[in-house]
Amino acid sequence: MKQFDLFGQEFAPKQDEKYTSKIKAPIYEPKNRKPYTLELFDNSKSKRIIREINNSNVSEEEKAFLIEAARRHTVFNYSLIADYYAHSAKEMQQLMERSALVIIDFEKAIQYGYVKLAEEVTNQYLSEYENGK
Amino acid sequence: MENDNFVVFILTNGRPDKVITYDTLKKCGYTGKIYLIIDNEDKTVDKYIRRFGIENVIIFDKIKIAKTFDEFDNFNDRRAIIYARNACFDIAESLGEKYFLELDDDYTAFDFRVYIDKGIVKPVNDLDKIFDLVLDYYKTIPAKSIAFAQGGDFIGGIDNGKELFRFSKRKVMNTFFCSTDRRFNFIGRINEDVNTYTSVQSRGELFLTIQNLSITQKATQKNKGGMSELYLDSGTYIKSFYTVICSPSCVKIRLLNSSHKRMHHSIDWNRTVPCIINERHKLNSRY
Repeated sequence: MKQFDLFGQEFAPKQDEKYTSKIKAPIYEPKNRKPYTLELFDNSKSKRIIREINNSNVSEEEKAFLIEAARRHTVFNYSLIADYYAHSAKEMQQLMERSALVIIDFEKAIQYGYVKLAEEVTNQYLSEYENGK
Repeated sequence: MENDNFVVFILTNGRPDKVITYDTLKKCGYTGKIYLIIDNEDKTVDKYIRRFGIENVIIFDKIKIAKTFDEFDNFNDRRAIIYARNACFDIAESLGEKYFLELDDDYTAFDFRVYIDKGIVKPVNDLDKIFDLVLDYYKTIPAKSIAFAQGGDFIGGIDNGKELFRFSKRKVMNTFFCSTDRRFNFIGRINEDVNTYTSVQSRGELFLTIQNLSITQKATQKNKGGMSELYLDSGTYIKSFYTVICSPSCVKIRLLNSSHKRMHHSIDWNRTVPCIINERHKLNSRY
């Protein structure tokens, strides 16, 4: 397909640009809406199991263990958690970071490096196979 | 290679005459150091030594390493790769090497998977250069491990119209680039790769798959020896449940509709891994 620049001049995109524009690092872009905290997790299964444990005749010690284990069934929605983080106050953000609920891409090292590596691999392919021919 | 302090480990068991990966590495232009990682319960150790030389074979104590991580069961069946996977960190350290790559023994290809108007698959001819590029990236990010994609990831095509490579970029399988200063434990006797990338990442650690490089393995359960007997014993039904044990909130079992129908794990990634977000979303960041 022909492509034109701002001045109407036809140009052909470089192979690499065409390729890397489609390569995306697994970076999440938080949405504009701050979700409710209740949306961040679903503990209905955990609660159901805990209710059964509490109604059982096992020892208090066993109950304490089973209740901790039941929390493994709590489901976290990490994209909504990232949305929540982006709209939170500093103290909340720090606590979320401490609990590793988001991964911060400092200086875009993960994102840019990922795309750069893709470019370099493509260039290596081109050099090994004479420009893809 | 430009990166020193790097070695390749081929994790192998019971098939000294069929270490396919060794020949594939050479064919694809890797010129660096390769060690065969064998356990002390392997009855074919002598054959490995005869074929590859004693200086290239490293034998580790399987029971000793078994005590350092959770196997998830008490079956006492140690025909599994996880022991070697975990042993590699200490082995690399004892060799004085910081970076290492863990490979299985049945890889038939290291391929480019590039997209130039269409998906292209071509064998890599200069693996030294490719390993350098991957290591350069690995060193700049906080990932525990990064890996190539697998041939099977590309079934169904790589381009969905919006984005290339529809498979998850947050998994790591088959080709683990690791560092002795970024240790982690593989867990669960079988399905150890999936158990590990789900549970370790759920606590905020990072794994990544590089999309445009891949390996191809000899068809599962066709290469005699290694893990094949273990899988044939139990099918993939029991195997998949190991991941549910460690990550019950985000992994289910479902029927995999391939030519060979079988039960398989199914991961809900949004429930499994914390998102990676740009630093500008952090208050008082420099952006």
